[in-house]
Formats: sequence, structure tokens, C-alpha cells
Amino acid sequence: MTALFAACAAVLVLSAIGVVVSRHPVHSVVGLIVNFAALAVLFLTLSAEFLAMIQIIIYAGAILVLFLFVIALLTVGSDPIERTANKLPEQAGQAVIAGLVALGFIAWGIQADWTPAAAKAAPDLGTVGTFGVQLLTTHVFAFEATGFVLLVAIIGVVMMAGRRETGARS
Amino acid sequence: MPLIPLDDYLVLSAAMFVIGLIGFLVRRNPLTMLMAVELMWNAGNLVLAAFARNFSDMSGQVFVFVVITVAAAEAAIALAIVVMVFRRRPDVDVDDISVLRG
Amino acid sequence: MDAVVANIAPQILFAPLLGCLLIAFVGPRLPRSVSAVIGCTSVFAAFALTVGLAAHVWHLPVAAQRIDLQFGTWALVGQAHIGFGIWIDPLALTWMLVITGVGFLIHLYSVGYMGHDANYRTFFAHMNLFVFSMLLLVMSDGFLWLLVGWGGVGLASYLLIGFYYDRQSAVLAARKALIMNVIGDVGIMIAIFLMFAHVGDQSFAVVFARTGAFGTSALDWIGIWLLVGAVAKSAQLPLHTWLPDAMEGPTPVSALIHAATMVTAGVYLVARCHPIYDRAPAAAEAVAIVGAASALFAATIGCVQYDIKRVLAYSTMSQIGYMFLAVGIGAYTAGAFHFLTHAFFKALLFMAAGIVIHNLGGEQDIRKMGGLSKRMPFAFWTFLAGTLAIAGVPPFSGFFSKDSILDQAAALGHPWLFAVGVAAAALTAFYMFRLFFSTFAGEYRGSVEPHVERVPAMEIPVAILAVLATIGGFLVLPGHDTFSALLAGAFPDAILPLSLADFDWPLVLGTLMIVAAAIVTAYAMYVISPQLRADVSRRLGGLRLLLLDAYHVDAIYHLMFEVPAYALAQACGVFFERAVIAGVPQALAAATSALGGLSRGWETGYLRRYGLTIAIGASLLLYFVIFGLHDVGAR
Repeated sequence: MTALFAACAAVLVLSAIGVVVSRHPVHSVVGLIVNFAALAVLFLTLSAEFLAMIQIIIYAGAILVLFLFVIALLTVGSDPIERTANKLPEQAGQAVIAGLVALGFIAWGIQADWTPAAAKAAPDLGTVGTFGVQLLTTHVFAFEATGFVLLVAIIGVVMMAGRRETGARS
Repeated sequence: MPLIPLDDYLVLSAAMFVIGLIGFLVRRNPLTMLMAVELMWNAGNLVLAAFARNFSDMSGQVFVFVVITVAAAEAAIALAIVVMVFRRRPDVDVDDISVLRG
Repeated sequence: MDAVVANIAPQILFAPLLGCLLIAFVGPRLPRSVSAVIGCTSVFAAFALTVGLAAHVWHLPVAAQRIDLQFGTWALVGQAHIGFGIWIDPLALTWMLVITGVGFLIHLYSVGYMGHDANYRTFFAHMNLFVFSMLLLVMSDGFLWLLVGWGGVGLASYLLIGFYYDRQSAVLAARKALIMNVIGDVGIMIAIFLMFAHVGDQSFAVVFARTGAFGTSALDWIGIWLLVGAVAKSAQLPLHTWLPDAMEGPTPVSALIHAATMVTAGVYLVARCHPIYDRAPAAAEAVAIVGAASALFAATIGCVQYDIKRVLAYSTMSQIGYMFLAVGIGAYTAGAFHFLTHAFFKALLFMAAGIVIHNLGGEQDIRKMGGLSKRMPFAFWTFLAGTLAIAGVPPFSGFFSKDSILDQAAALGHPWLFAVGVAAAALTAFYMFRLFFSTFAGEYRGSVEPHVERVPAMEIPVAILAVLATIGGFLVLPGHDTFSALLAGAFPDAILPLSLADFDWPLVLGTLMIVAAAIVTAYAMYVISPQLRADVSRRLGGLRLLLLDAYHVDAIYHLMFEVPAYALAQACGVFFERAVIAGVPQALAAATSALGGLSRGWETGYLRRYGLTIAIGASLLLYFVIFGLHDVGAR
């Protein structure tokens, strides 16, 4: 179990770095797929079976495919890689410092004592059945809210991407 | 089955989050930036799921579900914007869209 | 509540207001003559109703003639109740009859006088507003509504003095009148505050019933502050300078507002507050002294002025001085009687002078008149009636009212006031006949040939007033004091119930001799011998110049108030305005701009830079959250 976790953790971090440093976006997408797969395994170790499933189906299956479509759409005739001169050369250093500072704060923050006050035995935590019951009883409002968010997103995308280009835009 | 300590998940999540953050700030390709954002989303999800197990509370997992939904919406809209902005540009670089400069 | 009074009184009050609103809002869509018809009709309706009301009230027993109508609550402030009320008594009725009656005649006169003016409708709207405000003033049941009317007549006066708003002198005169009147308004406000402080109410009924609760000192102060208001409104010393300038307004305005009605509001106020002044001897003394001083002061100035309307303005101030003298010594009926006759003869004089001015194309300088008796016989005869009345020649009305005041002054033991009154009477006779002879006797001295037109709308009211000025005094005849009997209901507790009909014949004859001497002097100087006039002018050259400039009061006020005020404003403009008002915002703006300059380098417009900023902000937030967490984590 510990070995599994260690392996997944290593894959997770390395693939994340790969996503960030790849010059070509398609390589990044591949890294992200690997990353999400490792994450799904980690969800399983946290007995979140349903989450592991949707991590694969929704994220890897839907969102990343969307990314791939967009890459394909934008790169007709050219490579979508950064070739223009960097207008903010100092940004990289500042970003790394900011990231490390944030990491320091997080590391400091997670040192609290997280032991639950009363340990509860919950053998079926995260199964599809439990999840479904929770989603349609206790958290039904959140469930409805997600539906609304998606509706708004669909309308927004249709409004933006579906518009005919006018000649005014260069 | 021996449980992995909570702190391990938290450290792992923090590392992933910071990688995503730095990536978002350094890269100029909007698609790569969006993927860095996805990394940060998922780092957050990992923490939520870890705490859900730690406290034996399903709310954390339900929240992950919500986050995934919102992330999907965000990705869809952000990609729509990218498509609109860069449809006719040969080079995709967010530094080219700086008309909001004050 | 008397049903007849309760029905009629509000109609009297609101008829002119209705007329004003109709002219203002409907008038512009109708022919201009309609505005005049509305204006005259509404005032005439008020007059007719007032006559009916007066007939009703004067048929009641004397004790029931004071009627206090309450229509509801205007404001409840703490313990203080302020109602909508109307207070009818013979004193108010006297004023109402004059306001609506003389007011109607002057409206009628205006139809002819203002006939060619472009702002014909505006004029009638303002005149109706004035009549409404003045009625509100005299019909009010308490000091607050009285003050509302008081301010309303001030506003109407301002509007009408500045009626020829394209003339700078008119605008300045209007402003001066308004400022002077506001000083008086503040005086009345302070008096009302004192009433609230002592008895917690402002209605006549409560305040007059509880005068005992004030104490003499407080009553004296209230009397003094009311006097400040009365002095400003009635153009008495030392707040008189606006009245001569107010002659910039059209002549009907001078006749109605600045002779017959508004300027007598001070007299009304003192007479209305007789329960206060009866118990506040110092304040009453002040009223009498102010009146006597103003009477003499204005009469002396009237002797040298050349503007026909200014002479009449100073004579108005002088005659109101007489009324103040009367009400100050407690002879309220005598003061009211002089108000009544004065309204007749002074309105008559102004309107007759208005005919002269009208026919001379706006000329007001008596040096350019003369010999008009043949050219304008109507103006000549009516002006003569007015002059005889104001000079106090029997049997004209001024004789009875002025003599009753002098009689009362002597009888009540005020020899000095009596002496001043006689001196002012002599001067009055002199300057009025000087004015009369300069205008109508001798040869015409003007360069423009008079264009005489006879307008019935102007002549009928003048004729009516000439009759009234002639016979109006017969309300008081030897042995028959009708006027006091009429006013008995207003002064049930008057301390000095003297009859006006007790003529002190030696005194009357002595006064008449002096007046006759003054008239003869004027005749000698202005008709027989111009040489004599030149000699006198040379002898009294310095005094003449002093009087021509009205004792330099305007210049003194200018030095005392305007110069320091301008200097202060200048100083503020330089130091306060530039350093503080302008300096502080400029410094703030500079500081903000500098701060912006520091941070604007960061604002590049690049998306990634915004992202970095968000990251830094989130880190800082995290930092504070963690501190809180560790505090909790120490559990």
C-alpha cells in the first residue's frame, strides 16, 4: 500500500512537471492524462471510488479531449508553441519565488493536528451508492447548483464561440 | 489495510499545486496555462478527498464533485475565449493580449 | 366654533392664492386681459367676503368678537403643538378690510397703469401672492404662521421691487429690502424661541393667556425682539434704508405694499401683542421712542428730496413712526385708526403721483414738473385731497387720526413724544405742500410735453380713495368714537381705555396753527418767492446736503457692515480659500498621483502579471489564515 502510494506520488509530481515544461501543448495533454490517472489511483487509496471513476471519465475522457480539439483547431498551419519574444523576462523568477513562498506557507499551515475528535468507522465511504444518496439528500442543493453552473457555461460558450465573426475584428 | 498518513497527501497536494501555480505564471501559451490551472484544481481535489477520509465525512467528496463540475465549466469557457481570441493569430501568446493595460 | 366664520375665513384667505396660482399656471395660455380679470376678481371676492365677515362679527357681542378657529395639527414637536388656525377679531378685520379693499382698488389701478408692460401676468400673480401672504399674516392664530406670512410678504415685496429686473438699481433695491427684512425675521424667530422656552407654545391664545408666566424681564426681551421684526418690516429707525430704495418698484406696488399694507405690519404686530407690551413697559417705551424718532427723522429728510416717490416713501416712514408712537404708549386704537386713514390717503397720494409719472413718461423729479394743475386737473384735485389729509387739515381724515395720537400722547403723560409728534406734523405739512406746489403750481419746467391720457381704470380707484381720504376720519367725531367701539373686541383688557373722541381743543387748535404756519411757509417758498427759497437753501447748505443724503445712513452702514464684510471675505479668499479649500484637495490629489506613479509600473496589462498579483495576494491571505489556524491549533 505504501509502495503504491509512493509510486503514484512520484508519477503525479513528475507528470505535473512534464505538463508545465513541455514546449508543445499536445505533450502537456499527455502529461496531464498520466497525472489524472495517478490521481485516480490515489482517490482509490482514499476509498473514493466514485471520484476515481469520474476523474477518469470526466476529466481524462471529456475535458482533456476538449483540450485536444482546441489544439487541433488552433494549430492548422502552425505550431502552437511559444516563439515570440518573452515580454516579461523577469516574470519567471518572480513566479518561482512567489510559488516557493506559497509552498512555505502551505507547509507551515498543514502542520496542524488533524486528528479527528471521534474516529468514525465508515466502511462504505465513497461508493457509488453512498455518494448517490448523499448527493440527492444532504447535498441536493449543491447538486442542483452544479447543474445550473453547467447550464450557464453551456450558454456562455454557445454565445461566444457560436458567434459569426464580423469584419470589424482583426 | 494500513492507511497512508494524511500529511503525505497534503504534502503531495501542495507540491502539485505549486507546480501548477508556477506553470501558470511562467508559460505564455494559453493552453498550457489552462492545463496548469487544471493541475491546481486537482491538487485541491486531492486535499478534499484526503480530509473526507480523515474525518469520515462524505461532504468532502461531494465537494470534489462540485469542483470537477466547475472546473469543466471553466475549461469550456476558457477554451472558448482562447478560440475566439487566437482564431486568426499565428502565434498563441497571452502577452499579445494586453489591451487592458492601464 | 362659529360656523359662519369657519366657512368664510378660509375662503378669504385662499381666494388670492387661488388667483395667484391660476394666473401663474393657466394664465400664460389665455389672453393677457384674463390674468388681470382673475387678479382683480379674486381680491374683490376676498373683499366682499371680508365685508360679510366683518358685518357678522360686529353684530356679535363685544366679548364674543375674538374668534379662534382651529383646523387641525400642523406639527407636534415634543410638548409643543402647532395647529392650523385662524384668529379673527376686530383688529384683524380692520387690516383685512384694508388689505382686500385698498388692495382691490390698487389691482384695478394696475390694470391701467401696467397695461403696456410685457410682464403683465407676472405682476398680477405677484400682487395676488402678496395679498395672500398679508392676509395669512393678519389672520394667523399664532406667531409661527404669522412669521410665515411675514416672510411671504417679504418675498412678494422682493419680487415686486425687483419687477423691472433689467434695471440694476431695481435688483439692488430688491436685494437690500430682502436682507433688511430677514434681519427682522430673525428677530421674530428669537422672540418665538423665547416664548417656547418660557411657556412651550407660540399660539396667541396660550402666550397671551400666560403672560404672567414670563416675568417682566423675559417679556421685555420678547417685546424687543418683536420690535426688531416690526422695525425691519415697517422701515423704522435703524432699519429703514430699504424703503426709499424700494420705490424702484412699479407705483401700484409702492402704493399697496410700501404704503398701505405691508409696512404697517409692524404696527399690527405690536397692537396684536398688546398683552405683552402692556406688561413690558421698557419694550413699549422702546416702540414709542423708535416711532417718534422715525417720524421726525423721516420728516426732515422729506423736506429736501426731489424724487416724488422718495418724498412719499419718507412720509410713509414718518407716518408709520406716528403709529409706532401710538401703539408704544398703549393707544392701540389710535394707532389702528391712523393705519386706516393712512392707507387711504397714502395709497391715494401714490396713485395720484403715479398718474402724473405715467403722463410724464416716467419722470419722477419734481424739479422737472410744475404747473400741472391745468394739464392734469384730476391728478391735481385728488393729490390735493391726499395732501390735505396727510397734513392734518380738518375735516380730512388725517386730521382726526393724527390728532387722536397727539392727544393720547399728551393725555398719557408723554410730553416729549407729544412735542416730537407736533414737530413732525409741522414738517409733514411743510414737505407735503412743498411737494404739492412743486408739482402742480407755477410753470411747467420739464422738457418733454406731457402726454395726458385719461384711463378710467386708473381714475376710478383714485377717485374712490380720494373720497375715503376725505371722509374716512368721520369714524371719530367729537363725542362719537365709532372706531374705538368697533375695535373694543380686540382690546378687551387694554389698560388705557381712552376715548379718541375727547378732543383737547386748546391742543388741537395749537397744532393746527403750527400746521397752518408750515403750509404758509411752503406756499411762500415754493409759490410766491423763489428768492426766499434760494436764501434758505444757502443758509442751511450743510444741513441740506446732510438731509439730501438721508443723514448718510447708507454710507455709515456701508462703512460699518459692508466694508468689514468685504475685507473679511477678501482675507478668507486669500488665506482660507487658497490655502485650505484649494490647498488640501490639491495636496491630496498630488499625493494620490504620486502613489499611483509608484504602482503604475506594475500595471502592465499582461495577463500573467495579473496572475502573479493574484498569487501574491492569495499567499498573503494564506499567511493570515494560517496564523489564525495556529491559534486554534493550540487547542
